Amino acid sequence: MQNSLLLLFLILTGIIIVIFTYVFLSSKRDEQIQTGMQKALQKRFWFILILFIVLAIFASITIPKSPYFIFADEQPAKIIHVASKQFYFIMSDQAIDPENPTGESLIELNANELVEFRVTSLDVNHGFAIYNSANELIAQIQAMPGYVNRLRWKFTEPGNYDVYCLEYCGMAHHVMKTSFIVK
Amino acid sequence: MENILLKKNTAFWIITILVLFVLSIILGIIMRLNQGAIIHLSAVTFYTDMTTHGLTMIGIWFVAGMAGINFIMERYVRTSYLANLLALIFTIAGIVMLWASTLVGNFHAGWTFLYPLPFKIMWSAWATPLFLFSLTAFGVGWLIWCLSLVTALLKKYSIPQVFAWQHFKKNPKVETPPFVLISMISLVGIITCLIAAVVLLVLLFSEYYSNGSFMNDALLLKNLTYFFGHTLANEMLYLGLAILYELFSEISGQPKWKTTWYVALAWNFTLIFILTAFFHHLYMDFVQPEGFQIIGQIASYSASLPAAGVTVFSVIVSVFRKKVNWSLSNLLFFIGVVGWVIGGIGAVIDATISNNFVLHNTLWVPAHFHTYNALGNVLFSLAFFYWFSKHYTNSKTNDRFSTLKLLFIVVGGIGFLLAFYVGGADSIPRRYSDYPEAFTSAKMLATIGAAFASVYLIGIFILFVNISNRCLKILFSRS
Repeated sequence: MQNSLLLLFLILTGIIIVIFTYVFLSSKRDEQIQTGMQKALQKRFWFILILFIVLAIFASITIPKSPYFIFADEQPAKIIHVASKQFYFIMSDQAIDPENPTGESLIELNANELVEFRVTSLDVNHGFAIYNSANELIAQIQAMPGYVNRLRWKFTEPGNYDVYCLEYCGMAHHVMKTSFIVK
Repeated sequence: MENILLKKNTAFWIITILVLFVLSIILGIIMRLNQGAIIHLSAVTFYTDMTTHGLTMIGIWFVAGMAGINFIMERYVRTSYLANLLALIFTIAGIVMLWASTLVGNFHAGWTFLYPLPFKIMWSAWATPLFLFSLTAFGVGWLIWCLSLVTALLKKYSIPQVFAWQHFKKNPKVETPPFVLISMISLVGIITCLIAAVVLLVLLFSEYYSNGSFMNDALLLKNLTYFFGHTLANEMLYLGLAILYELFSEISGQPKWKTTWYVALAWNFTLIFILTAFFHHLYMDFVQPEGFQIIGQIASYSASLPAAGVTVFSVIVSVFRKKVNWSLSNLLFFIGVVGWVIGGIGAVIDATISNNFVLHNTLWVPAHFHTYNALGNVLFSLAFFYWFSKHYTNSKTNDRFSTLKLLFIVVGGIGFLLAFYVGGADSIPRRYSDYPEAFTSAKMLATIGAAFASVYLIGIFILFVNISNRCLKILFSRS
């Protein structure tokens, strides 16, 4: 998905650069043919209308795909509790006691089964970002002290999944990592 | 316009901003070199560097916009020299405290200093209160400055006039110049977000000095932090645009831009959109009410309509098949608009909740905000600095190597930014001092980024020398 977004960005950027270069070069033409833009107000109106329609279409397609709504009607087959702490994650299929936080060293999940991660933090804000075996970020949620964020996800590919902290949390932020297996 | 003290103060602002800009770019390059494993810093050094870089950059480009609009506002209303001077003193005091807390005290909670990270002391204990006091100094100085400028505008224009509401009717009796309208819209947004910063600081100080009897709510403070931080970072761009609306036509040798009904409408809507777009920073906090998240996406999308349909389109109309006296200043404005639009595309992509799910806190984020800053807003302010320094030293000569300077800035900027965008698409996290081996392209991209950022720095440095030399002449001249 990220590569498609990069491609979309590069295409739009290319179009913008071409337009502005063309506009710039037009100002350097012979003065005799410098007429300015004809019917500029009309063109402006159409430009805004088209942009509005394009953005409205994008919004109406993408908003229903927001992670809050996906799998919302399904019942999760497995619940994984996640407690984040500087600079490690604790994961368990049992509720984690904040006074004495302990978890399992190995978490195994089933492919094509809906999992709900209940993510919190025991100190500062952290991120809980899941990377597939090709090291692509596929899903993420924040870990915030005093709150439990719920991320629902269905893994389709078996393999080893890494979890990195994506919210800056202090001097060892970059080594805060865990992993789990999908069978 | 013959306010000599204001002119000298503006020259002093420009020199201070440019010195801090060059230093902050160097800090940025050091970070990318460390991420590329070309140099080896301790993690603490990297993160103190990151905190200093982020806050200094936001601070200096905000005051750059403010110094610019204050100077130009003298064309329309009498502004307070004292407020300008106080802002300068408070800003310098804030910078000194900030740099002492980070570079001496090792405070490294990032520019976002998300609660409760500043209270999990991993640095000298005195650095946390000093950091908070540095923000207080900025807040006090900037609030006084903004309120004084708003007061100056309201002495001449009534509230409907300053927001150009009379332009919604045909043949308005009073004309509100676009510069006045955009300055007012931006100042109202800035004052609102500075008030949020005051509330944030009061809550942080209350907890810090309560000895454990008072605890804050992390979600509320995160909302306040981004309402303040996001809005301020956006408004500084609009300050640059106010200057563009005033100077672009003037430098190009064209008739002055006028406020029309659609310009008035666009900027009034911009105020609403800009105050609600910050929600996109909290998309990944699923406990935030879903309505706020959707408002965040719609506001982020909507903000692009007046920006593209009015401002960008106006720049195109004023250049397309028109005679333009191109100089370095209006070229900087023009290229800045391109950078702003491209950064805006990157931002709209990221402000889509379903995309943010895989882009949030990856290198895509520094990619897009560096685009509309390093190749957008910074160029708007540099255009003003350059125009100011030339205009008030009566320098008629065209600077040599203008194209070369621009080439360094543009080529360096593009390479530096592309490394970020590709990194974002490769899922590489932002704010990592060292990359785990699994991110195979990360080190190479960081090294490429550092190399191109150095090219950008060369262009900026040459401009810095040109502009600063002339500003020093203004500062030490008798008139």
